[in-house]
Amino acid sequence: MRKFLNGPWILLMPTLIILTCVVLLPLLLSLWTSFTPFKLTKPDTLYRFVGFRNYERLIGDLDFWIAFGRTVLFLAIALNLELVFGLGIALLINKITYGQRTLRTLMMFPMMFSPILVGFQWKYIFNDNIGLMNNFLREFGVIQPIPWLVDGILANVSIMAAEIWSSTSVFAILLLAGLLGIPKDPIEAAKVDGCNSWQVFKNITLPFLMPFVFIAMTIRSLDVARAYDIVQMMTGGGPAKRTELLWTLISRTGYVDAKMGMANAMSYISIFLSIAFTFFFFYKLVEARQRLSYE
Amino acid sequence: MMLRIFLSLILAVSFFGSFSAKAETELWGDYSGVTLRVKLIGGGQYEGLYNEVIPWWEENTGGKIEIVTQKNHFELDKEIKKDIASGNLDFCVASNHTSFASQYGDIYTDLNNIMPASVLADYTPLILEHSTVNGRLVQMPRHSDVSNLYYQKSLYEDADNKANFKAKYGYDLTPPETWDQVKDQAIFFSNPPDFYGTQYVGKEEAIAGRFYELVIANGGALFDEDYRPIFNSPAGVEALQWFIDLYNAKAVPDGVLNYLWDDTGLGFASGTIAMNLDWAGWAGFFNDPENSKVAGDIGLVRAPMGSGGLRTGWSGSHSFSMTESCPDKEAAASFLWALTSNKAQMIEARGGLSPTRPAIWDAIIAEKKAEGDEFMLMVFETFKMSLAEDAFTPPLIPEWIEFTNALYPELQAAILGDKSPEDALATASKKATEIMEDAGYF
Repeated sequence: MRKFLNGPWILLMPTLIILTCVVLLPLLLSLWTSFTPFKLTKPDTLYRFVGFRNYERLIGDLDFWIAFGRTVLFLAIALNLELVFGLGIALLINKITYGQRTLRTLMMFPMMFSPILVGFQWKYIFNDNIGLMNNFLREFGVIQPIPWLVDGILANVSIMAAEIWSSTSVFAILLLAGLLGIPKDPIEAAKVDGCNSWQVFKNITLPFLMPFVFIAMTIRSLDVARAYDIVQMMTGGGPAKRTELLWTLISRTGYVDAKMGMANAMSYISIFLSIAFTFFFFYKLVEARQRLSYE
Repeated sequence: MMLRIFLSLILAVSFFGSFSAKAETELWGDYSGVTLRVKLIGGGQYEGLYNEVIPWWEENTGGKIEIVTQKNHFELDKEIKKDIASGNLDFCVASNHTSFASQYGDIYTDLNNIMPASVLADYTPLILEHSTVNGRLVQMPRHSDVSNLYYQKSLYEDADNKANFKAKYGYDLTPPETWDQVKDQAIFFSNPPDFYGTQYVGKEEAIAGRFYELVIANGGALFDEDYRPIFNSPAGVEALQWFIDLYNAKAVPDGVLNYLWDDTGLGFASGTIAMNLDWAGWAGFFNDPENSKVAGDIGLVRAPMGSGGLRTGWSGSHSFSMTESCPDKEAAASFLWALTSNKAQMIEARGGLSPTRPAIWDAIIAEKKAEGDEFMLMVFETFKMSLAEDAFTPPLIPEWIEFTNALYPELQAAILGDKSPEDALATASKKATEIMEDAGYF
């Protein structure tokens, strides 16, 4: 006992207690509810164990798996486009010698809007009747309004545009921090040796930047579910489930239908998606850092 | 407690401004030191009441009202469900609705045991019946809603329109009496993308409710007496086909499947829609030249009939409930009465909302007659008749919202052409069967 009180465990106890209360217990409780028919409006159902029934139903639920697949696709496309645009913006701002601070501040503006506001704003832009986009296209002779938020592909593209607008600056800021930290010597040496700009970027800048890329990817892949508000505002997952993502499906099941047990079962299946993305990016991060130190 | 309520009961004749209503049972008391925590529905059409009634109640009773939450009904619904799950029912009064009330189990107190019979006698008995869940009166009705058909009068008076319509469809162009006529006329008036014949709310409970009332009007039903779904029927397919035909003919805007109530109301006010099925709450807005391009040019008819000879009349009432856990039930009862009193209902009626007290119907119609306000007189007379003769509630079961969430994506899929109406209704029917089975109906 004395050894325990004097050892490192006693110092770790406050952290462990807080983590247990804030993370572990809610996780265990939600895991338990996924094995029950728990309805928010019927608290007694929390104590009725139904085994894997929720999971069995989900395995055979085509709507769930379509939403799952669409979410994977959405994440893959949105995160990669955000990376490309963020990298482009970071490289451009890094080149600027005058007004860089002002531009950096301006670049962060989209992050300052709450996702709900972003959703409203882009819903208005893509409104088929009074939206800015259709009015703009009308100036160029496109008379028939385009149903941006109804057509299956266009609706997903519209949501993705809103999400990319909102979050590209996260990538830009993190990558700009990386760019500012790159030593100048190797770049100057490469230029003296006759490398062109592309060769310098490909062989020196990008390898230095890769750890930042994967850190940004990891952060965004965990944080991207904030886009729920955007989707909810713009389409609510519809029409006809054409833009249904796991977030809208889980939210509707849990809070509107009040079937929290089923919603938590969906969440636990989708957690594997988050773990897979995070694991992949961490793996790539470690690999990039090892390569950098080797070089 | 009941003794104090009865002691505070005063039978009085109330005079409010320019109208006089019949004798009303009032429910005042001295509630100094009492603070009632309340969760209310928010939004432009709802908040005017609170601004007048809360200070009035506080002044007359000495009590205080603390508004904990004020948000749209769907968000409020989610919040209350979370409160139930967490057991955190630390409020006394909350907004409610007859279509939502049955979901909340027994968190709301039975007002039959709290409200004196003389107070309850002031409300329309049928509405009180709709406010009752499993024999418990869990809400005091605030105002009722049912929809009727607004239209642009000038379109029906135009000689060219009359001649062209008659030539094309073989009958006179008059405000529609049936939903088939609505379809013909909507297609006739449409000139997309600048002008559309009509529109409909296209998602969530809204479109499910519209489908429901059309199924009833076509002579069908959603469920049998055991709550087995029976809407995948000729009446159901006919109802769904009506939505599909209008969408395919571009007689409604392309984005209609994302529309909810505000979108349709503002759409009609924008002057780009010929006919609009909507509730009375928009009437004042539609006829206000500052807000509406169709002001002064609005006609109104009772909701048309389906092929079964019945008029559509999906109806419900906004209401207020008192939690079972409320520590000051007597004060809360007084506040519930104030929120739905003659004074409160007259305030909302002047904005076009339909009262739940017969006395206020008489009073508002008398007031509009005296003012010579022909438009609002037409609105109140039409809605009074509609509520009396056409209105019907959705099934008052806890699974209603969950059922509508299963139904509406299938309706949308059929409207967009992803599925045939029969396939869509078969899928919805299968899901509805699962929901009802899980709930233990069969």
